[in-house]
Amino acid sequence: MHSIKHKGLDLASKLIFISIFAVFILLPLITMLSHIDSAGIKAVFSSAQFVPSVVHSLLTALVATVITLIISFTLAVCISRTNIKLKGLFGIIFTLPMLIPSISHGMGLLIVLGNNGILTRLLNLNTSIYGFTGIVAGSVMYAFPVAFIMISDILKYQDYSPYEAAKILGIGPLMRFTGITLPYLRKPLISIVFAVFTMIITDYGVPLIIGGKYKTLSVLMYEEVIGRLEFKSGAVIGALLLIPAVVAFLLDLTNKDKGNMTFVIKPFEQSNKPLSKTLAYIFCFILSLAVVVPIFCFAALGFAKRYPIDLTLTIKNIEKALSMDAGTYLLNSLIISVAVALIGTAVCFLSAYLTARAKTKLSRVLHLILITAAAIPGMVLGLSYAMSFSGSAMYNTIAILIVVNIVHFVASPYMMIYNSLSKINENLEDVGKTMGIGRVRMIKDVFLAQSMPTVCEMASYFFVNSMMTISAVSFLSTTSTKPIALMINQFEANMQLECAAIVSLAILIVNIIIKAVFRLITRRK
Amino acid sequence: MADIKLSIKNLCKTYDKLPALNDVSFDVYDGEFLSILGPSGCGKTTLLRILIGLLHADSGQILKDGEDITNIDAAKRGMGIVFQNYALFENMSVLKNVEYALKIKKDTKDGAREKALAILERLGLLEHKDKKPGELSGGQQQRVAIARTLVLNPDIILFDEPMSALDVATRLMLRDELKKIQKEFGTTCIYITHDQEEAFALSDRIMVMDKSCLIQIDTPENIIDSPANDYVKSFVNENLRKKIDSLIKYVR
Ligand SMILES: Nc1ncnc2c1ncn2[C@@H]1O[C@H](COP(=O)(O)OP(=O)(O)O)[C@@H](O)[C@H]1O
Ligand SMILES: [Mg+2]
Repeated sequence: MHSIKHKGLDLASKLIFISIFAVFILLPLITMLSHIDSAGIKAVFSSAQFVPSVVHSLLTALVATVITLIISFTLAVCISRTNIKLKGLFGIIFTLPMLIPSISHGMGLLIVLGNNGILTRLLNLNTSIYGFTGIVAGSVMYAFPVAFIMISDILKYQDYSPYEAAKILGIGPLMRFTGITLPYLRKPLISIVFAVFTMIITDYGVPLIIGGKYKTLSVLMYEEVIGRLEFKSGAVIGALLLIPAVVAFLLDLTNKDKGNMTFVIKPFEQSNKPLSKTLAYIFCFILSLAVVVPIFCFAALGFAKRYPIDLTLTIKNIEKALSMDAGTYLLNSLIISVAVALIGTAVCFLSAYLTARAKTKLSRVLHLILITAAAIPGMVLGLSYAMSFSGSAMYNTIAILIVVNIVHFVASPYMMIYNSLSKINENLEDVGKTMGIGRVRMIKDVFLAQSMPTVCEMASYFFVNSMMTISAVSFLSTTSTKPIALMINQFEANMQLECAAIVSLAILIVNIIIKAVFRLITRRK
Repeated sequence: MADIKLSIKNLCKTYDKLPALNDVSFDVYDGEFLSILGPSGCGKTTLLRILIGLLHADSGQILKDGEDITNIDAAKRGMGIVFQNYALFENMSVLKNVEYALKIKKDTKDGAREKALAILERLGLLEHKDKKPGELSGGQQQRVAIARTLVLNPDIILFDEPMSALDVATRLMLRDELKKIQKEFGTTCIYITHDQEEAFALSDRIMVMDKSCLIQIDTPENIIDSPANDYVKSFVNENLRKKIDSLIKYVR
């Protein structure tokens, strides 16, 4: 009978997917961890740089996390709880930072507030942005949009009714906030705190460019592997960076279904009070400036003849970047991003079909492996690939960059399509079976067609992230396979900030175009 | 009485050792409307899924027109099924929903559009043919689901609480219409409901189930006059009371 054939096919596909992901997610990680030995640990722990790096990492990440949360929480309240205009525009502005590499945020700060920075000169400042301040500021720029989206998502699901009741009972706004909103937000907020902390502490882009002598663990790991080829020491530091990531992952796992489950009796009304609205405008405006100014400065730096002495428009920096093969590297990035978007989306869709629509015990295993990928920081993933696949045919080719990016970014799009497929009517397969509609047709004409908006969102997510990532790919690319985002490291090392600005802009522009295209496609449907 | 359309013999089904159907046997006559009544969890859906071939019984046999169909593919049993939650293809228009299954098969492709349009017209859905299911009311969506089933010309249609999600007025309207359509097409209907009044209004016979067992299968009159046990009795009494209540409401 049909159903027996289906079950066999399901079982086989699940086993295949589980094996593939075991090889590309779990195996590398285990390999990396298995390379840790007492000699490696000793070498790392006894180095003079180790303890300061740990302190620096913890300190910058803690402070940056607190600031990020305050900013993104305030922003989320401004956008979702007041009735201000221009929300669409603000929405676009606050996604921009998510479209460029973290290292570009550090560079933006350098250009604006560095020794030769635009504002430094304009306002005659003499505070130094290098080190702690710069890392914190850059990390906040890089992390706040992500935190903002996560917090907005929770605020959207908060129910107004308890609030209203408290209001009627004459409970003041402060008590309402501490008594109702905070307890409601507590669990998801803890999750977000760890996610942001992990995101910041595992990033090497910002501290590399603006940290100067103030080294963090991530920079130490980068230098051990890239500069000294000490993979074993890198693995030790990688294991340390894995700790917050695993904690964040476990926390997220325990309250994953929260947001979608809660049922909103009455949504919050958006405030129309002139005072709240004015404050919201001011806040959004200032934050927009913080986002937009560095981007304008990239342009100023990239297109000025000799910034800041001669501001005549020129394309010589583009030519210079091109002469250093920026064109080839851009092409590499486009190839990688398109491949990751296509393959990643297909893989996520099929896996989610198996886990959401053909549920068995094996589905659970596949599901868990896939979301585990979220717990591995990019750099750790990159190093574990370098240590696991150095003998394989795909090593030193563009294929390994494609695979590592798919694995690095797989968890979020997978969850998007998993949720979307889970919500589709549970009886559709039965309808198909009784009406004689084949399974492939059902997948294509019904499930894929119904989840098209999500599929577009997934593809766009894979593309944009592959375009801007500098983490997992940094230990795996060669001079011929290098993606363009990694040129920023190289330009930075050679003090060619103009070219780095051009490259950052190029990445931003490509990502904006892709986002716009996908938005147009989904709008039309 | 008419010929036996479906003969169910000794069906048993357990889920992880928990019984869901316990030795259930009965016959369904050609063209009859049979309702299945019983408390939640008594095995009604399980029975229906086994009849149409979405689920395998542990043991037992199903004969259709005298032929053993126990192991035949769901699509080849000449049966259709209508669910409580409509289970429409949300991405397709009403017309597409109805013609889709016909269009993808070689032998039914020709004239699929005409057939679909005719059924839609019969069910009063023609003006909505280009809308997506999401733009329709619950009652209209269930009509589309019925049209989608009817267009394949099944000789038996199974309904799993098709009206439970609808409001009372829509239910009454759809109920009358369903009865008319059944007469017109001569389709045999097996209809799960937990609305006893609905069962009594629609059915030629009613089957009462409890705790995975078939308790009684008989005409509405006989079920009221001679209930098989206390369970059926209490159940019918309650139903009568309801009926009287609604009559009173109607008179007022
Ligand atoms: N897929 C399943 N796995 C395990 N138990 C099930 C499954 N489907 C139904 N059951 C159990 O079998 C019994 C009968 O279920 P069902 O046929 O759905 O009852 P009804 O439709 O009368 O409410 C219930 O106790 C239910 O919990
Ligand atoms: Mg049921």
